[in-house]
Amino acid sequence: MNWTQIGLLYRRELRSALRERAIVVNGVLIPIFLYPIMLWAAFTGITFVQGINEGFVSRVAIETAPPDTHVALLDTLRRHEGVEVIGVAGTPYGAEDAGGERALPPDDWDAALAAGDLDAIVSFRPLDGGALADNFAVRVRYDRAEDRSQQAEARIREIVSDYRAQWVASEGEALELDETERTVFVVVGESVSSSEDIGQLLLGQMLSIFLVIMVALGCFVPSIDTTAGERERSTWETLMTVAASRTSVVVAKYLYVATLGIVAGLLNVAALMVSVGAIVRPLLVDNDAAVSFSIPWLAAPVMLAGAAALALFFAAAMMILAAFARSFKDGQAMVTPVYWLVFLPFLLGDQSDVNLSLATALVPIANVTMMIRDAIGGVFLWPWIGVTLLVTLALVALCLAVARQLLRFEDFLLGSFDGSFWRFAKEKLFA
Amino acid sequence: MTDQPTVLVKDLRKTFYDESRGEVHAVDGVTFACHPGEVFGLLGANGAGKTTTLRMLSTVLRPTGGTATLMGRDVVGEPAAVRRSLGFYSASTALYPRLTARETIEFFTRINGYPGDLVPARVDDLVRRFGIAEYENGRVGKLSSGMKQKVSIARTVAHDPPVLIFDEPTVGLDVMNALEMVKVIRELKAEGKTILFSSHIMSEVEKLCDRIGIVHRGRLLALGTLDELRQETGQHYLEDAFLDYVKRAEGIEGAAELGPAGALEGAEGDPLGTAP
Repeated sequence: MNWTQIGLLYRRELRSALRERAIVVNGVLIPIFLYPIMLWAAFTGITFVQGINEGFVSRVAIETAPPDTHVALLDTLRRHEGVEVIGVAGTPYGAEDAGGERALPPDDWDAALAAGDLDAIVSFRPLDGGALADNFAVRVRYDRAEDRSQQAEARIREIVSDYRAQWVASEGEALELDETERTVFVVVGESVSSSEDIGQLLLGQMLSIFLVIMVALGCFVPSIDTTAGERERSTWETLMTVAASRTSVVVAKYLYVATLGIVAGLLNVAALMVSVGAIVRPLLVDNDAAVSFSIPWLAAPVMLAGAAALALFFAAAMMILAAFARSFKDGQAMVTPVYWLVFLPFLLGDQSDVNLSLATALVPIANVTMMIRDAIGGVFLWPWIGVTLLVTLALVALCLAVARQLLRFEDFLLGSFDGSFWRFAKEKLFA
Repeated sequence: MTDQPTVLVKDLRKTFYDESRGEVHAVDGVTFACHPGEVFGLLGANGAGKTTTLRMLSTVLRPTGGTATLMGRDVVGEPAAVRRSLGFYSASTALYPRLTARETIEFFTRINGYPGDLVPARVDDLVRRFGIAEYENGRVGKLSSGMKQKVSIARTVAHDPPVLIFDEPTVGLDVMNALEMVKVIRELKAEGKTILFSSHIMSEVEKLCDRIGIVHRGRLLALGTLDELRQETGQHYLEDAFLDYVKRAEGIEGAAELGPAGALEGAEGDPLGTAP
């Protein structure tokens, strides 16, 4: 190997790549803009849908009216701007009195609920045996498969809870019980998570997955372009006749593909770090959760090491498969199975209650995702980080060993073998 | 032309395995030598073994048997050194479309080991010599075929190699560009380069080559100057001489009465062309 020649070849590859639209889009623009835009679109969409749902008036039918002492509750329901009582069976508020086009006879309510023309059917029932006379239970029938119906159930629950709290307070006052005496016990939730902890949890779950996907995406087009693309453009044989050794040529190409993979991954992380606060925080503020999006400094080298190890693996695996293709299109089909590997983390690494351990550190790709997620969360399990990197580098070594074997075959080098890697392996490598 | 051969090929063989045909002897015991300032032509039909022979000389393919050296370097033992002494031009060696003409020439000058401090001057010289200045900063992919041809020749000779291989260089070129190619090859010959030229176009071979090797089914049927081939076959035109050799090799009636295959001096008697 001649490192001067490798440097020349590497720079030539990079220069060509940065002038290719598909590579720039996949390796630079998508990592910077795609996921921030996707996040923004997703959160905007969620907020928009929530707004629409909140804007809906819940159509409610009262199957059994509350006791007379609680007529005020019925009035509250009728006056609530988010609720339209379309009928009250067996009371002066019966369906015939509701008026308007929405009035429905009680016999049609079940069908209307199933058809989505009614959002909830409410029954007030006396609650016997309690300390308070006129106590009651409320049964709400709704369609959990319908957002609007769920919204109606939530509204009724809230209205009834508020009414009950006021009623219990007034009854308590009548019995000369103060608030402390009325309150038998309460449950108070108190999170010990700091705003940084919550931010790191969210970042860890997002960044670790996106980083793996982006590294793979960053390697995808360059690995095909530098192998199958060279054959398609007839520049492969030109390269075979230059004074550089075959090894130097392949090493330069490999480093170039891995570089673009790392760059894509890190650009994506940087873009998300910058944009995630602006996109996600407003949504969380509504829930009174103050979130600070920052990561520990020590996470940076762990992320870099993970991205580099993954890029070396994806670059090697993708180049091996793509090298059997004779055109860019064939190359895409041949490399796609490697791209599927990025979904391994979803089977394991995306579960926040599963920690990096010896067992999980042995699962390729997913282990890197977990390692990065833990590091962002400020958890550094160094022995398992070591195992994770070793497992990934072992895969890299395996791929390079296969590549070295392949380079011994002329029909592989010249692209005259008509078939995929798997067929070549069966007929030549392991024959 | 000096007596010291720059290219020495002895009993060179290349066997491929083909699923339908079994073992295919693409090159079957070819022997010849070339000298500085000589244009040596390999003439043969498509699939005769010309390109395979030249690919072995350029180290793209590894010989199955025999030996070949360029500038005293063995193609198997010192492939990188061989490639440093060699410029290879063929229809299947395209240029990088995303580099500019100048970047292309500079890249090939450097990668083939031309002294680093002399590269800028060398690139300037080549740009001037081949009339590339007008579009030197244009991307190769956007150039016309004639412009690309000039850049391609410039990158072939960029590192000033003593041996140049032109494998079917005029395939796909129009008349003007083909004539330009012939002119360039003559100039390079005048500079003392050893040139291996392959073609199936008789007129080009007649015009350019000092010696001609006729290749058929992987074997060198004859080797000599145009006059020697004419004399042996009694045919005035190279095309007719070529057909005579092929017919004889195939055992077809009507071939001129010739001696055994390769009986020409310079083919079997002195295939390396070293006889005084």
